[in-house]
Amino acid sequence: MRGYIRGVDALNYRLGRVVMYGIFVLMAILLWSSISKTFFLPTLWTLEMAQFVMVGYYILGGPYSIQLGANVRMDLLYGEWSIRRKAWFDLTTVCFLIFYLCVLLYGAVSSTAYSLGYWKDAPFSYLFGVLIGTEEVGRMERSSSAWRPLMWPIKAVMIVGFFLMLLQCISELFKDVLRLKGHTI
Amino acid sequence: QGTITWRMQTYAGAALAEHVIDPAIEMFNKIAGDRMQIELFYADQLVPTGELFQALQRGTIDAVQSDDDSMASPTEVTVFGGYFPFGSRYSLDVPVLFNQYGLNEIWDEEYSAVGVKHISAGAWDPCHFATKDPIRSLEDLKGKRVFTFPTAGRFMSQFGVVPVNLPWEDIEVALQTGELDGIAWSGITEDYTVGWADVTNYFLTNNISGAWAGSFFANMERWNELPEDLQTLFRVCCDQSHYYRQWWYWGGEANLRVNGTKLELTTIPDEEWATVENAALEFWEEIAAESDVKRRVVDIFKQYNADMLKAGRPYRYT
Amino acid sequence: MHFRAVQGRAASERSHHLMPYELIATLMFSTMMLMLLTGQRVFGAIGFVAVVAALLLWGDRGGYDLGFSAAMKLMKWYPLLTLPMFIFMGYVLSESKIADDLYRMFHVWMGGVRGGLAIGTIGLMVLISAMNGLSVAGMAIGATIALPELLKRGYDKRMVTGVIQAGSSLGILVPPSVVLVLYAMIARQPVGQLWLAGVIPGLMMAALFILYIALRCRINPTLGPALAAEERDIPRAEKMRLLRAGLLPLTIFAVMMVPFVNGWTSLVESSAIGALAAFLAAVFKGRMTREVFENSVRNTLGITCMFMWIILAALAFGAVFDGLGAVKAIESLFTERLNLNPWMILILMQLSFILMGTFLDDTAMLVIVAPLYVPLVGALGFDLIWYGILYTITTQIAYMTPPFGYNLFLMRAMAPPEISLRDIYASITPFVLIMAGALALVMLFPGLALWLPEYVYGN
Ligand code: NA
Ligand code: NA
Repeated sequence: MRGYIRGVDALNYRLGRVVMYGIFVLMAILLWSSISKTFFLPTLWTLEMAQFVMVGYYILGGPYSIQLGANVRMDLLYGEWSIRRKAWFDLTTVCFLIFYLCVLLYGAVSSTAYSLGYWKDAPFSYLFGVLIGTEEVGRMERSSSAWRPLMWPIKAVMIVGFFLMLLQCISELFKDVLRLKGHTI
Repeated sequence: QGTITWRMQTYAGAALAEHVIDPAIEMFNKIAGDRMQIELFYADQLVPTGELFQALQRGTIDAVQSDDDSMASPTEVTVFGGYFPFGSRYSLDVPVLFNQYGLNEIWDEEYSAVGVKHISAGAWDPCHFATKDPIRSLEDLKGKRVFTFPTAGRFMSQFGVVPVNLPWEDIEVALQTGELDGIAWSGITEDYTVGWADVTNYFLTNNISGAWAGSFFANMERWNELPEDLQTLFRVCCDQSHYYRQWWYWGGEANLRVNGTKLELTTIPDEEWATVENAALEFWEEIAAESDVKRRVVDIFKQYNADMLKAGRPYRYT
Repeated sequence: MHFRAVQGRAASERSHHLMPYELIATLMFSTMMLMLLTGQRVFGAIGFVAVVAALLLWGDRGGYDLGFSAAMKLMKWYPLLTLPMFIFMGYVLSESKIADDLYRMFHVWMGGVRGGLAIGTIGLMVLISAMNGLSVAGMAIGATIALPELLKRGYDKRMVTGVIQAGSSLGILVPPSVVLVLYAMIARQPVGQLWLAGVIPGLMMAALFILYIALRCRINPTLGPALAAEERDIPRAEKMRLLRAGLLPLTIFAVMMVPFVNGWTSLVESSAIGALAAFLAAVFKGRMTREVFENSVRNTLGITCMFMWIILAALAFGAVFDGLGAVKAIESLFTERLNLNPWMILILMQLSFILMGTFLDDTAMLVIVAPLYVPLVGALGFDLIWYGILYTITTQIAYMTPPFGYNLFLMRAMAPPEISLRDIYASITPFVLIMAGALALVMLFPGLALWLPEYVYGN
């Protein structure tokens, strides 16, 4: 359990440390958009690219923000509780959070499978098949803009982000279990 | 026996839906009564328009009103939905192409293959530019950031137009926040109905297509579950909707050009606009070269337009 | 095939008749409240309830998609691109302490008046509000720079705690404002006009705060003693030099707002320009240390993630509400069942917003509840720009009222130990009353909000 916590936390920490500089990428794209519009022809890709960067920024950065404790809680009752009681309640309610993340992940997987041209009911095994080369890629979904970027890369980023968020929340759950066993984290 | 409930999403926002779909659905619900009710949702309400097709296919929503292009349908006919550049001149062209020139059959084949029922196609308004700054020549198009349909945008980008894709409901705000310089998404009726005429100043009378083509679709399983009489009722209400739009737009376009006070009309001279029309023919060839199905559809468009030309007035005034 | 079809229909009918919609809606709210009260992260509580409700309603056909659909919808919500920019701006301003000079300026110029430092703090908050879109930066600057000084000078702790919380809440009313951007998206109203509409009510509210402080300190000078004469003995040249500190926020504000209002740059582009301007200001003032840089970048990620994940969850929740037909239900409740006139409905809405704002996250509230109210407000014939200001003032109140309020959280986290929770709660009462008064004024005199946007955009 401790090994899992250490591994997942380290992974998400490293990723978060990289992703947080995405703010400058976003800024650069938006600045380029205003420069190109003022001095040359407006560019086709800036707005959509900025949207993709934003998605990567907040979804991949999500697990790190959990580590930072940035996600607000209502602490009217919670704030007054003992560490043990907090751990008990967290242990229960984080399972609900994990359920939500599973649903998000399922949606992301099925949407990514769709963006690779798969329309049936087993998106997980299809995507796995694509990875190991037993499944074919079909008609690829493109954004309906004039730039027409492929949609699967950003959807794949979302899969990764939701999955890492899931791992992080399981890590939080394990931490509560350890706390209840009397360990210090 | 419970009431059958369908969820339907249109790609139009609420203001427009009041004309293009609400009356037909109200009619359906009134007639079907306890047997079936359709709950109607507007643009991006339940699912974003980009995800509309997938949601329909999976049954998240049971029926959809949209053009093929806007909902990014994964079929070979997608580019012909919405505004296929210079594909039609009048709104009556669309039902004729579908019912008499064989497009219905092609659409049915294509959508059946992806598990979706294509119910019927109909026409909406022509595609004009409404912009903040006037367009009086092709030169004025250069660098304009415009909300338009994917295929129309792809075509117009050769004239320096910069197509921007945003959620329908955000367009009015985007014109005000400076994200857009104009729209090439509708005729003047919609510009007034939706409120875009309040945030733009000029209307270009040249259009890049005489009529929007779009359809009603249903999830295949849901459709097959319906008793035959309800299927028929649904078809009849779709046809009613097509009919309503025929006169609503046709009358609206003329009325607002003549009596509207919010938009100043501008025109690019015919000789200059011919450049765009000729470019469309090349664009058709480019599209046709992409696949056999597209070739078939382009051939139908060519045949139809040739026939209309031969028929002479009032079909075509050359 | 036939069998599957029959089964499918049975399933879809069952899901529609399993529970009446009102019951589902009630269950959704109560489960969410329970999860919030037991301290789960806000986005988790909202998201869980949303996806479970979707599954209950629409079963395995479509119920699973809704959560993710919201992510795609969120991606297309382009004005949210301004969110990290404004947050970054705020952190650069507070972390780099370029506001120190500003604070000294007010200190020197206002110190001689009774309650002058508190009045100066309100002035400081107004200027900071003009440079960032949330209240976080104002809170941070107020709690770290102003609060210790005020306490040291013998100011009443309850009053100054309230001053900082109330003053920083102006951040969402004085442009730029993230709350108004979100409102603009929901109400489909132009951001530029909304921002301008916030200027006069924001200044008016600041003036009311100042009036209140001045009056109370006049009646009871021990609440805010004037600075001793020797402390005020500063050469005139130095005083003038400090005045220049006020140029910085005005410059940043102008660099961002002028191109936007003139239509040279779009909203999101302007926000990036503002962020760049704040960053460069800190660099040129020599304040952009490694630590400042690190803190700004890291906290921007944290706060942006917090907001985005809440909005992500709230969008799914909102879609379920839409699916339940909640807009029509609310409309019929107010207009048919209660049979109220438009003004009564409006006042009732504001009251319910304030009530909900005390215990709900206001971002979630905006995404979930505003879509229910705004169409009705529009249908009743009210101006939606004006209503945006009413809404924002309500949100300001929500920021400060326990148990759930961002400014309360921040104050608790940042306040020195001599300020107890009781002090913090007690400190807000007069300011909440003033805000309610401002709300009433803007309601009675719509011109307060609408005059400026009409003047600027009118021609
Ligand atoms: Na502000
Ligand atoms: Na509150």
